[in-house]
Amino acid sequence: MSGTILIIDHDTELAQALGIYLKRQKYRTRIARSVESAGSIMEYPESVTILADPGDDNSEDVAALKKISTTSPHHRLIIYSKPDRLEKWMAIFQDDAFDYLRKPVSGIALDLCLRRAQRWVYQEQALRENAAKIKELKNTQALFQQLFDEVPCYITVQDKNFRITATNRLFKRDFGHEIGEFCFQIYKHRPSRCADCPVAATFIDGRRHQTEEVVTSKSGEQFHVLTWTAPIKNEAGEITQVMEMATNITQIRQLQDHLTSLGLMLGSMSHGIRGMLTALDGGLYLLDTGIRHQDPDRTSRALDQVRQMVAQIRKMVLDILYFTKSRKLEYQRVDLRELVHSASDTITPTAERNGIVFTRSFPSGNIPIDVDPVWFRSALVNFLENAVDACLSDADKSQHSIDFKVFLPDNDHVCFEIADNGMGMNQETREKMFTLFFSSKGSKGTGLGLFVSNHVIRQHGGSIHVESQIKTGSLFKICIPRIRETEASLPFSEISAKVQTK
Amino acid sequence: MKKKILIIEDDPAVADYLITLFEDNDYATVHATSAQDGLTLAQQEQPDLITLDLELPDEWGPRFYRKLSADKALKNTPVIVISGLSGNKYAVSKAVASLTKPFDREELLKIVREHI
Repeated sequence: MSGTILIIDHDTELAQALGIYLKRQKYRTRIARSVESAGSIMEYPESVTILADPGDDNSEDVAALKKISTTSPHHRLIIYSKPDRLEKWMAIFQDDAFDYLRKPVSGIALDLCLRRAQRWVYQEQALRENAAKIKELKNTQALFQQLFDEVPCYITVQDKNFRITATNRLFKRDFGHEIGEFCFQIYKHRPSRCADCPVAATFIDGRRHQTEEVVTSKSGEQFHVLTWTAPIKNEAGEITQVMEMATNITQIRQLQDHLTSLGLMLGSMSHGIRGMLTALDGGLYLLDTGIRHQDPDRTSRALDQVRQMVAQIRKMVLDILYFTKSRKLEYQRVDLRELVHSASDTITPTAERNGIVFTRSFPSGNIPIDVDPVWFRSALVNFLENAVDACLSDADKSQHSIDFKVFLPDNDHVCFEIADNGMGMNQETREKMFTLFFSSKGSKGTGLGLFVSNHVIRQHGGSIHVESQIKTGSLFKICIPRIRETEASLPFSEISAKVQTK
Repeated sequence: MKKKILIIEDDPAVADYLITLFEDNDYATVHATSAQDGLTLAQQEQPDLITLDLELPDEWGPRFYRKLSADKALKNTPVIVISGLSGNKYAVSKAVASLTKPFDREELLKIVREHI
């Protein structure tokens, strides 16, 4: 099919003769006497070649043709006219008309002109299609770029020298904009490539490879990542680059660590529990024989020991409970003095027995505070017991003392200061003391106490400040918000009137 | 004369228990809280029996036992291992018995009576 030709001519006979000729040339033709009678050419779906004779100076037709030629560029206008008018039309239509033919039209001139027009149509079409393709390509590229950027793993593209040639957004966020740097340098801060490099393997065999790595981010954080590689090939099928995707599985590993340490903890604690149970047995034996022999000394010693062991077992069980599930705090409003008295009473007997001077200084009056009494008390007891242990383990001084000071720096906070002149801590112990399973007490410690206590204080929104010098002593200062925020709006004037530090 | 038992145990509560238990049953006791003290006391006191905890602050029980065996005067002294580690039977293979904490005191006394 050679397209549609619309003939517009006042001379109907000539138009029909032309129409017959063109039909023979396999064109579809339509004939109209004027632009107006041709109907709306704009509505023609495909492009049309308009063969028009503007005729006389019918300005309506001239204006209508000019409008078509300018507003519908996919239609082609060919002006044909008597030779004496042709130049006039040229002056009017300029290059808006595709061509100009003189009447009477010679067959060959018309044929050539129409073929040229046709070819122009094809070219136009091809141009439009290509433009659309380019646009689509741009969209697809944008889509791929977006995918590349939004994928929740670190993506790098590397060349054969393991230089990074492209990275996605997550990578840039955690590892920086390091185009051109070496993969091993950025991920691992090492001078040469890793022994089991999955990228190298993919360059060799063209397959995907998977490894698990530990990498260090620009902020120094360590991540466990699972890496996959995929080859990027050129048109000839050669691998020019390799894409490496690394998924951060740190959280999963942490969970695994937690489970592992849980198992480890139960294993390491069984020894301590056995010791406590034996001591409890001993206490019961003393109690039993003490009562039977009516020996008050032995009985009181027994009671002391049983009490101590029950407290220790209780604390250990609480620690395990605390560790095994992330427990939510159950806040209660309690009296500060009652809390600190009951906490410090637990170490008084041990301190007395061992000649440790235990000084307490508490604020007077009723001071309400919001804490989880079970956990907060056990954290305080833990710090106090550590102070006792620090004194007992220190053989250098003849006189040991522990100062327990509770005060309110302002209306909104409570501070607890526990100072001892015991063995103190070296730098390593100071740095590691809150770490799970770290213990400086050998088989006597579980490495849970300070870990849990620290956690409890943090959960209360508090802070712990530690000063310690080896062989000199330690100072722990714990500060927590006195009243929980949700209840901070309660009138406070009554309470604050009573608050006075000794 | 009363038979003498050397108790090597670093946990004061457990040591107190063992001392009381043995003295109630007519034994004399001496107590050491470390392997080094234990060895010195053993040489000084020449005990008739030794109870040994495996985890000591300064040394691991089996090494203490090897040092003890190297002393001609002490190498035939019966040793009872009392430890919080389960499966301690193989730690000191020449021990006359190995008890796991918490131990049965009648069983302990029975073993002691069998050997001294």
